[in-house]
Amino acid sequence: MSPLIQARDLSKKFGSQVALDHVSFAVQPGRIVGLIGPNGAGKTTALRAVLGLTTYDGALEVLGREPFRERAALMSEASFIADVAVLPSWLSVDHAIEFVGGVHPRFRADRARALLAKTDIAGHRRIRELSKGMKTMVHLALTMAIDARLLVLDEPTLGLDILARRGFYDALVNDYMDDTRTILITTHQVEEVENLLTDVLFIDKGRIVLDCSMEDIAARYAAIAVTEDKLGAARAEQPFHERPMLGKRILYFESPNFERLAAFGDVSTPSVADLFVAKLSRGAPA
Amino acid sequence: MNTYVWLVKREFWENRAIWIIPASIGVLLTLASLFGTVEATFFDSPERTRSMTGMMFLAFGALFFAAMSLYSYWYLLDCLYTDRRDRSILFWKSLPISDTATVLSKLFVGLVAIPIVYFAAADAASLLAAFVLSVRAHSLPVNALWQPDVWLQLQATWIYVIVTTAIWYLPVTGWLLVISAWAKRAVMLWSILPPLAVILAERLFIGTHVCLRMIGDRLLGYSSTAFNYPAHGAQWPGDMSGDQAFGPSTAWGPSTAWRILDPRGFVSNPATWIGVLIGVALIAAAIQLRMRKGDC
Repeated sequence: MSPLIQARDLSKKFGSQVALDHVSFAVQPGRIVGLIGPNGAGKTTALRAVLGLTTYDGALEVLGREPFRERAALMSEASFIADVAVLPSWLSVDHAIEFVGGVHPRFRADRARALLAKTDIAGHRRIRELSKGMKTMVHLALTMAIDARLLVLDEPTLGLDILARRGFYDALVNDYMDDTRTILITTHQVEEVENLLTDVLFIDKGRIVLDCSMEDIAARYAAIAVTEDKLGAARAEQPFHERPMLGKRILYFESPNFERLAAFGDVSTPSVADLFVAKLSRGAPA
Repeated sequence: MNTYVWLVKREFWENRAIWIIPASIGVLLTLASLFGTVEATFFDSPERTRSMTGMMFLAFGALFFAAMSLYSYWYLLDCLYTDRRDRSILFWKSLPISDTATVLSKLFVGLVAIPIVYFAAADAASLLAAFVLSVRAHSLPVNALWQPDVWLQLQATWIYVIVTTAIWYLPVTGWLLVISAWAKRAVMLWSILPPLAVILAERLFIGTHVCLRMIGDRLLGYSSTAFNYPAHGAQWPGDMSGDQAFGPSTAWGPSTAWRILDPRGFVSNPATWIGVLIGVALIAAAIQLRMRKGDC
């Protein structure tokens, strides 16, 4: 199968500042990819390029189209929630459904209404009258009612309380996800999406620093909590990162000899968040 | 095509002032005709009644037209700016609607839909007021203020003015859309200051007034391009007294509107078409800016 998103040598500069530095990656159909990076790493720029919202250098193909030139056509098969609370404040919920139904060939108004019926959001209300969590649910209902091949979520739960965040991901998992969907998501709350993801892309300073599937993480990376007495021997195995933890030190290894490691303690697979921290502090072991 | 219908509908949802302002003016004028004083001498002869009607229709039309000009200026300046300011542009851009369609729909609302709404409101208000005044000036038969030919002339004038102002002011419209699509804030200032700066810079550094004259001709040259000045010196029906303007025996008789409108002169004036070219270029620039302002 050809990838849904194919980026080769994707670059973008704002003045003298490099936001994306010759980035290449691919997203395969049916995957749920987390694009993870610190603030200013280029996540949003990469997503904006994928969505046709910005110009770029290099080659980029999304659903077989060139995003910037063909944004309108692309948006009939892809959808996105770029940020929380960007629905226009003057729009009523009913009008929003009516409008999207009018302009979108793959939108099913009955589906949007069914999703909203599960909440207590009345259709005649304007967006400005809704709480932040409600706005997000309206946006999510509108988006989930689109039969899209690609869904892009850029910090969709930023600034929401924990109940609203949980509600968002529950709805996404239970009412939307199936193996025909492809999702590209960025978020700071890595822990919340970790078990949804099938792949991760780490980005830092405009470059991809890790591109692998969750299975590959288990096969390639290891973390061990090592006691002081075994530290010297464990360090000989060349961890790429370590940090102190309750009197022990956690050592992170890439492509290690798992059998030899087992001698130093319990070998576990690092969480995405831990791996992210370990990867990005590389070169400066604590 | 259907997308355009939805986009126009959207503008009416968002900008309810499009119809609230003209409706309010209409209500105020109707109230004024209900409770204002009616000077019976206005209607003491068929000629005076006739010129009174013409003046009233014209004054109503001018009032609505002035309000419309101000509102359209604000609308065009605001239409590509508000959704960038509140970031809802990201929602609109997530839909399969091209930026060309977005900009053209707003252009259509500014140049066609808003004028039609004001035109309809002006008609409704002036007919209602004519009826009310006829009834109140009770010495007259009810239909005294109903002068079909005067009314028809003003209808034709309205339509002519809508079409010709849309064409003549296209470069201004294009400029407002460019600012609306581009400025990060203070669209009103951006719409005015750059032309002023260019005029001042030209005057200071080159000592000529070419830009001033070009901009001035565009802003003030409309009526001399679209209308024919009557030979005897009166420039515009508003400059004449009522009797002179609408009396059957004077220049502004029943057929005067047809004489004062100058479509042939308007169409054959090269300035009209130079303006259209500049306007189209600016609108194209606004579309390009809109495409590039994906991240606000």
